[in-house]
Parts: sequence; structure tokens; C-alpha cells
Amino acid sequence: MPFLLLIEDDDAIRTGLELALTRQGHRVATAASGEDGLRLFKEQRPDLIVLDVMLPGIDGFEVCRRIRRTDQLPIILLTARSDDIDVVVGLESGADDYVVKPVQPRVLDARIRAVLRRGERESSDSSAYGSVVIDRAAMTVTKDGQDLQLTPTELRLLLELSRRPGQALSRQQLLRLVWEHDYLGDSRLVDACVQRLRAKVEDVPSAPTLIRTVRGVGYRLDPPA
Amino acid sequence: MTDQQTTPRRFAAGPWRRLRSLRVRLIAVFAAVALLAAVSASGIAYWLNRDAVLKRAQDTALNDFRVSLSRNVSALPLNASCPDLTTLASTVASSGLSYDVVVVDPAHPECTASSDPGQFTLADVPAALQSTVARQREITETNPYPYHLYWQRQNLAGRPFVIGGTKVVPTGPTAYMFKSLENERADLNTLGWSLAIATLLALIGSALLAQAASSTVLRPVKRLGDAARRLGEGHLDTRLEVEGGDELADLARTFNRAAESLHEQVEELSAREAQSRRFVADMSHELRTPLTAMTAVTDILEDEAESLDPMIEPAVRLVVSETRRLSDLVENLMEVTRFDAGTARLVADEVDIADLIMSCIDGRAWYDAVELDAPRGILAVVDPRRLDVVFANLIGNALKHGGSPVRVRVRESAGSVVVEVSDSGPGIPEDVLPHVFDRFYKADRGRARSEGSGLGLSIAMANAQIHGGTITAANGEVGAVFTLTLPLAPPPPPAEGETGGGPAGDAAQDKDAT
Repeated sequence: MPFLLLIEDDDAIRTGLELALTRQGHRVATAASGEDGLRLFKEQRPDLIVLDVMLPGIDGFEVCRRIRRTDQLPIILLTARSDDIDVVVGLESGADDYVVKPVQPRVLDARIRAVLRRGERESSDSSAYGSVVIDRAAMTVTKDGQDLQLTPTELRLLLELSRRPGQALSRQQLLRLVWEHDYLGDSRLVDACVQRLRAKVEDVPSAPTLIRTVRGVGYRLDPPA
Repeated sequence: MTDQQTTPRRFAAGPWRRLRSLRVRLIAVFAAVALLAAVSASGIAYWLNRDAVLKRAQDTALNDFRVSLSRNVSALPLNASCPDLTTLASTVASSGLSYDVVVVDPAHPECTASSDPGQFTLADVPAALQSTVARQREITETNPYPYHLYWQRQNLAGRPFVIGGTKVVPTGPTAYMFKSLENERADLNTLGWSLAIATLLALIGSALLAQAASSTVLRPVKRLGDAARRLGEGHLDTRLEVEGGDELADLARTFNRAAESLHEQVEELSAREAQSRRFVADMSHELRTPLTAMTAVTDILEDEAESLDPMIEPAVRLVVSETRRLSDLVENLMEVTRFDAGTARLVADEVDIADLIMSCIDGRAWYDAVELDAPRGILAVVDPRRLDVVFANLIGNALKHGGSPVRVRVRESAGSVVVEVSDSGPGIPEDVLPHVFDRFYKADRGRARSEGSGLGLSIAMANAQIHGGTITAANGEVGAVFTLTLPLAPPPPPAEGETGGGPAGDAAQDKDAT
């Protein structure tokens, strides 16, 4: 039973979502502010966080950034609008996915399950791309022998790209493979995640050699020559 | 009003308009005034001068002739012979001034004594002058002489002469004097030319003056015209510099006042409009919070509805369905306010249009009701979420009002993708057709509660337009046809749209680098 932490300041929304998520079979802890949320997160170590953006005190972006400093657990943002700056800032601060209010509980549940699946292990061996070594059995990535702290989404993205080295994958394909968005995925999710992944695996993130942009198509993992 | 009157004539009367322009009229008036003044002044000067010059010349000659004649005639013998008369003529003529003399004597009618016989004879003297000279006057107190000196101006062989004649004694000879006025005529001609040139100069000067005057008048008029045009283009802060205190300055002041008041009114209107837009935006935001909570529990209610009391179940279902409707309405309202405020942004990605339509139909379980004719491989850079809204609205609208089968046909043509959605319904009444994209416009006014929010087609249109495309509505052979035309690549976003940069922006830079 997945253990979720719901951080939402509005009582009605918090109660409603708690009811709905509990009914979908999740164990839910709730917090009404960012500070409470961070405290609960440290005490109870949930599997996933559903985080409202507009919070009194420290806002959702800041909560997201603070959690990402130490932990790579999945974070889903509850945002007000789908096409404004909220989404971009939220994805940059390390969120894995977002849903727009008012959200259907079914949709939120599907997103939660998809994010959680990303961390599931696969039975496969390891492969090396230059200094980066991906161990599919242990679900770890090392660079120059050092463990990289990747979120499940970043890891899944790297795995999907490395499964087809040298082959370009479109943003829509990656959205289906990694985020399990059936259609109409937001391509900014892919772009933001690629940026975060590059920051961790590339030697020079601004001049990527491993994860290349394929103009007009999407992204491609190039094994170093 | 005047504009309406002149507009139809503007093209037909093009050259006329130019001729009737203020500049041309001013120059014409100035030139006419200058011409009148110059011609009358020159004319008067010419005639006065002419008179004075001729009078002086002939007076001098006639006086000299009289003196010389009276002095020499006494030396003539009583019965003077023809040679005597010739001597007299030569003597009188050689008195100093350059004139010629002809002397005739009734005693020698055959003899014509001339100082220059080849040049002048009695035949050159006009008959009228001869008879006047021959007439004897009665001697009275005021008239001591029986014969007077008479003169007449006459052209001889094209040259001007003054001819004077007199009789000294009743029985004596008659003497005529021929004084050439050639020099005086040359002088007067020179004067005439000078005056003509002066008149011409005055005309040119007046034209230049008129040009300058019209410029000083027309420059402010042109400025006023430019300012009015800028004002019309929407630059409401356009003002004129007010110079001096003349009528044009008054006009400029009036213009400034009008512009000021227009500016204020427009600002007030747009402030009010912004206020009401903000109100709608704020309101939909506020509505969203309780709706989110309600939506969160509708699934639970729906799942439990079957096990509820048969009296309660319909109530629960009603709450569930109306919550969803309200949620859609608020979502549409927010979408509309985003378009109104210009904050709607494209999150573009290259997608296959056929895939997008397919997933739109699949996701809404419309597959049985829609005939899709869409070749795969038409790739366009679009915002998939927005385009899905467009397709959902067009197809949903066709299903709702037209009825199945709904046909969706996708074609690529000249850099655009064209999607036709046609239904099998009764079509759209002609009077409704221009309003189908209006907000909250419902074709059937009698139907108070329709299933749609009344915003669907207007949002679809706005979404098409943000892609640089458009939607048209028409009636086909059967049913209504909505045609969406989209460019394969959207227009570049406005520079200010790139706020925040974000991952998309970085990715774009990255694309350029690789």
C-alpha cells in the first residue's frame, strides 16, 4: 500500500483528496502548510508527495527544492493552471509530474501509480556509456564510480533512452514510455526532466554529449565514440 | 459627413482636387494681384513718361523752328525765287537742332524747297495739317497773330516724326519742319521692356511669396493632418505643439483638447473592461477551490450511488453530473479569460495530426460515431492540449447538434493542414452562421439549458488563432461543415512571451548548439 503525503492548505480540498486517495487504496498523511509538510516528510518518509503550489509561508516550489536537496522521491504538483509559469518553475524545482485543479481523483491516481512504477526494478544487466554506468538490476547509475542521485522519473527516462541507444525518441513517445500519459502529454515535462538529467550525468550540461537533442524530433542517447 | 460626400468623388476628380488645393489657389490669387498691380503701375508710368518725353522733344524742336524761321524769313527777297526758298529751308534747318525743313510758296507752286529733297517733300505733310496751317485767324485781343504754328505726329516710312508748319506772312511761303522722334521711341521702347521685365519679376516674386505664405499656413495644417491620422491609428497620446495665437493655434488647441478627452474616455473604458475581465478571472479562480474539493469526492459518491436509497441515488447522481458541468464551465471561463488577457501560451511540439485526432476520438469514446479520413504522416508543430480542445469541441458540437455520422477529413495543402468536420444534421440557419463563434450564443434560444457551456466554439476559434490558424463554418450538401486551417509551423511567439525561459527555452538553445 503506497504511502502518500498530501500537502494542501485548503481544508476542503485536503479532506476531499484524502478521502478520494484513501478510497483508491493509498495510505495518506496530510499537512496544511509547507513547514508541516517538511516535518511530516522527515518523520514518516512517504513514498510520494502530492504538493500544492500555492501555500502560505514557504510555497510548493520551495518545498520541492528543499526535498530534492536530500531525497529523490516522486513529487506530483497540484497547480492552478496548465499553461503558465507555475508548471515551468515547478518542473525546474524538481517535480516529476503535475496535475491541474480541479483534478479528477481517477486522473491523480493514475499519475501516482505511473510515477511509482518508474522506480520498479527490472531484470536486466548493466551497461556503460563512457564514464556513466547504468545498472538495471540494482536500479543505480554511477558516474566515475560515484552513485548518482536520480529521481525515479530521471532514472526511467535514462533507461528508456539507453534501451535504444543512437535512436531518436520523440517527446510524445517519451511521455508515453516514462510518464504513461496516454495522449496530450505536456512536452515541457520531457524537456525539464532532460535538463535535470543532463545536469547530473553530463560532464558539461550546457554542451551535452550523452543525451543529445535531435532537432525537430526529440532526444537520443549517444554512446561516446 | 463631408468625408462621406467627398469619398466617392475622390478618385474621379483627382486632377481637379489638386488644382483646387489651397496652395494652388493661394498662388493664383497672389499672382493675379501682383499682375494687376504691376501692369497698372507700369502702364501709368509708361504713358506719363511717353507723354513727357515726346512733349519735351517736340516743344524744343518747334520753338527752335519758330525762332529760326522768323529770324531767316525776313532776309528773303520780296519775290523770292525757288533757289531762294531752298536756301531758306537749308538755313532754317541748319540752325542747330537736327530737323529738316520744307518751304513752299504759293507764288511757285512747282517749287518745293527742301533742306533734304531726297527725304521730304510737301507730299509728306498730311493734308489736314496743310489746310489748318493755311487758315488765317482773325486778329483779336487774345490772338495777336493771323497765322499759328501747328504740329502733328506722323509715321513716315515706318519712322515716327513730328511735323510742324506755319506761315509767317499772309502772302509769304509756308514752312514745314520734320523732326525725327526715333531716339525718343527707342528710349520709350527700352522703358517698356524694363517695365515688362519688372512686371515679370513681380509675378515670380509674388508666386514665391505665395508659396512661402501657403507653406506657413499649410505646414501646421499638414501637422494637424498627420496628428489626426496618428490619433486615428490609436496613438491616443498624440498632441500638437501650440505656436502663437492665430487661428491655426486655436485649431491645434482644440485638437489637443479633443485628443485629451478621447484619451481619457478610452482609458476609462479599457480600465473598466480590464476590471470586469479581472473580475471574471478572479471569480473563476475562487470558484475553482471549492470545485476541486467537490470534484475530489464526486468519484466516491458515484461509486456508492448504486448502494444508496433509491430516493437518494438520483440526487447524488445529479450532484455528481452538475459538479462536472460546473467544473467544465469554470475551466472554459478561465481559458477565455486567459485568451482575453493575452496570457495564453503555446506549448508546442511536433505531432502527427492523425494520431492527435485519433486519441481525441478514442479518449472520449466517440469511435463508433465518427468516420475518420486522415492519412498518417502529416506532422505539425502544435500545442497538443489546445488542438485536442479544438477537435473535441468541433467533433462534440457536430455530434450534439448535427448527429452521426460525423465525418472528419484531414488534408495537407500549401504549408497548412486542413481539417474538415462535417455532420449529417439539418445544418446551421443562415442568420445564426455569423454568430456560431460568439460566446454564449446558442442557436436555439428556446432551449434554456443546453449541454454545452456556450464557450466551446469560441474557445476552439481562439485556440486555432493562437496557432496562426482559423476555423470557418458553412453549410455543406448535408449538415454543417466546420473547417480548421492550421499552419504546419506556428508563427513565432512575441518576444515578451519568452518570460522565464524555462526548460523549453533551454531546449531551444540546446537545439541551436547541436
